[in-house]
Amino acid sequence: MRLDTGFSPPPEHAVVSWLPHDPLLAVVFQAGLGIIAFSLLMLVAVFLLRMRLVLRTRREHRYAAQWRPLLAECVFDVPQALPVVPRSMRYHFMKLWNHHHESLEGSARGNLETLARRMGIDEVARNMLQSSDLRERMIAIITLGHLGDRERWQELRALVAHPSPLLSLAAARALLDIDAEATLAWLVMVMAAREDWPLARLVAMLKEAGPDRVTLPLVAALKAAGNPRQTVRLLRMMEVAHTAGAGEAAARVVRESDDPEVKAAGLRLLGDPRELGLARSAAAHESWVVRVAAARLLSRIGEAGDRQLLVGMLKDAHWWVRYHAARALVALPATAPGDIDRIRSTLDDRYAADMLDQVMAEARSR
Amino acid sequence: MSAGFDWAVGLQWFFMLYFVGINSGYLMLNLLSLGSLKRYIESHSLDDLPRGISGLEPPVSVLVPAYNEEATIAGSVRSMLQLNYPDYEVIVINDGSRDGTMEALRREFALLPFPEAYWQRLPAQPLRGIYRSATHPSLRVIDKENGGKADALNAGINASRYPLFCGVDADSVLERDSLKRVVEPFLEDPRTIASGGTVRIANGCRVDNGFLASVGLPRNPLALLQIVEYLRAFLFGRMGWSPLNAVLIISGAFGLFRKDVVVAAGGYRRDTVGEDMELVVRLHRLHRTRRIPYRIVFVPDPICWTEAPESLRVLKNQRVRWQRGLSESLTMNIGLLFHRRGGAAGWLAFPFMVVFEWLGPLLEVAGYAFMITAFVLGLVSGEAFLTFMLVAFGFGLVLSVSSLLLEEMSFHIYPKPGQVAVLLLMVVIENFGYRQLNSLWRLWGLLLWMARSKARWGEMTRSASWQTGSGGGAK
Repeated sequence: MRLDTGFSPPPEHAVVSWLPHDPLLAVVFQAGLGIIAFSLLMLVAVFLLRMRLVLRTRREHRYAAQWRPLLAECVFDVPQALPVVPRSMRYHFMKLWNHHHESLEGSARGNLETLARRMGIDEVARNMLQSSDLRERMIAIITLGHLGDRERWQELRALVAHPSPLLSLAAARALLDIDAEATLAWLVMVMAAREDWPLARLVAMLKEAGPDRVTLPLVAALKAAGNPRQTVRLLRMMEVAHTAGAGEAAARVVRESDDPEVKAAGLRLLGDPRELGLARSAAAHESWVVRVAAARLLSRIGEAGDRQLLVGMLKDAHWWVRYHAARALVALPATAPGDIDRIRSTLDDRYAADMLDQVMAEARSR
Repeated sequence: MSAGFDWAVGLQWFFMLYFVGINSGYLMLNLLSLGSLKRYIESHSLDDLPRGISGLEPPVSVLVPAYNEEATIAGSVRSMLQLNYPDYEVIVINDGSRDGTMEALRREFALLPFPEAYWQRLPAQPLRGIYRSATHPSLRVIDKENGGKADALNAGINASRYPLFCGVDADSVLERDSLKRVVEPFLEDPRTIASGGTVRIANGCRVDNGFLASVGLPRNPLALLQIVEYLRAFLFGRMGWSPLNAVLIISGAFGLFRKDVVVAAGGYRRDTVGEDMELVVRLHRLHRTRRIPYRIVFVPDPICWTEAPESLRVLKNQRVRWQRGLSESLTMNIGLLFHRRGGAAGWLAFPFMVVFEWLGPLLEVAGYAFMITAFVLGLVSGEAFLTFMLVAFGFGLVLSVSSLLLEEMSFHIYPKPGQVAVLLLMVVIENFGYRQLNSLWRLWGLLLWMARSKARWGEMTRSASWQTGSGGGAK
């Protein structure tokens, strides 16, 4: 006798003959068959996807071969013949157009913009702003920015508040493309507050806008910063601002703030010898992050009189403080290799001596 | 009805439900992966536009532990020195190799002794020397006593200069922009503490001067079967967990970590063969239990290629080692399991790993053994046996095909339709013997772990036959 679930088999006429007689087994058996059938469907889908990919790639290459020469012609003039762009290829054309726009400069960009307007790409981009496809919305935002489309200012400004960092950052970038000065006046505070916006991308955007435009808004935002996190973000962004303006604002922050991260970020921006006092006092700060920043600042603006301070820092408990103190010591004005050798011979701390050996070896290999 | 038969029927249903359960779990992961892959591809659709990010990407220390890698080390290091990334250093850690690894490095990169003020933050075996390349200033080599891969990585972390470090296997082939892609989660979210990328099989591909020149399929059937396995493991095994912040494995072949966090956690444990997974599970445990916000992210781009074993012996050793590593990683961090602050990692990913990956081989092998024996002895009917096999095969097939479907929807790395056809064939074939053999090997690994036999660095015979160009070929 064989048993499966203990259920008695149903009458034979009630089930298809090849199915297990046990009702529960029959269900599982059918599920297994269903899964295999589903797998076969997916196998077919894999093949169909590959076929579609092959056809789509061929089509894209064919069109790109027509578009590229016309877009390249924009380096000299606006081409008379307009590229043919079927509806299904709009996204690809816009991507190629944006690629050219970001690769070229000067009048070529103007020619590309004229070409796009003649083709109605501005209108297409405006419609795409409402698309549910993220890729289409992104390319539309970027295109409107490159076209300098002021008519969509309000829509783009509203998008800056969008919860998606991708969409909101793209909108911010587009607004900077359209009118950098008007945008920076309020955008910098948003940049400080939105921690979901990657700092590296913000710095890239500010770098593109240029130090002339970004310095004053950054300094104003630094004064109004609400908390140390915002202050640190703004100080990091100020690395693309004018040195003088940034340094002055940073020195004030270093003097006023007790937060080690803020102090360290501020010290990184200093470079004026008048701030030497700040560097010297920061060298004794309880946070190693601040002491590292102080040592690095001393390597830029330190004087011969700072030698003893730096020799003391060579004995710091933290590796990075010792390392930057050694580098600063080697970089001090009027320091000859013989001076360093003399300092080395007087060191009774093994870690300090090892660090000085390393930094001298690094200096020799440069 | 006798008690013996009741027992057999109960077991029959237990194993059948287990197979349905495990595979349904994987299917759920597959669905999660589908959504996150779609979002990932959409959000990176404009990455190839010329406007880059900035020069503000954090500098990275690339750590390359090497043990008896004489044949491939020069080519690998040369490729790592040519990565497209603004600021990085390469540190090769020769872990007491018994072959000519150190000599190959000295010869190829003009190494000179360097008086480094070595900062021993993490425990590691004593150093024999630190060298700096006269021709490549960003390359340093640490020569140390043998202590295992974890020990070598700890020594590399001690010598590293930068805030992020990337552990890379010495035999790996990286994409030129691999660092740029894997560092992105750190730029996008300051809470990110680790990120890992997809590892693909390099067998059958052409590698010139340390970089992938063309993608191909290997002729070796074992390597072919592993391609499907890797697709399954990475595209939904990890992509599915990523949006839940519950990725428990970042491959040791290529993973990027925040150094201060790893140092604070105590670095790599030297008493496990699964040091890569153990570290990630520990980071989850420490951050969850201490309520420190964090992200561990999986990047689905294929950024690292590695050589797969082509012989049953080497493959068996690898799988046994992986299972032992998994066992150690989970048991060493058992506190994460159902911890009240464990989140998705402690309440979903960890139990999933325990039931399906850790104890899975035991239950799978027991399931097959029981059903076959019970069928032969007449304890279960032919219908029940057939149903069991149908379910096991059907689910295996659907999982493998779905991973291929994900690949086709996303990266379609294999360019020729013929290659896709071969992979589809492998998807079917792997269910007849290969998967069962794997379960047996993994069960052996589990038993070895239970017997507490000593674990060692995995020695793998490298053919490196796919490497061409200067210094990369097999010697």
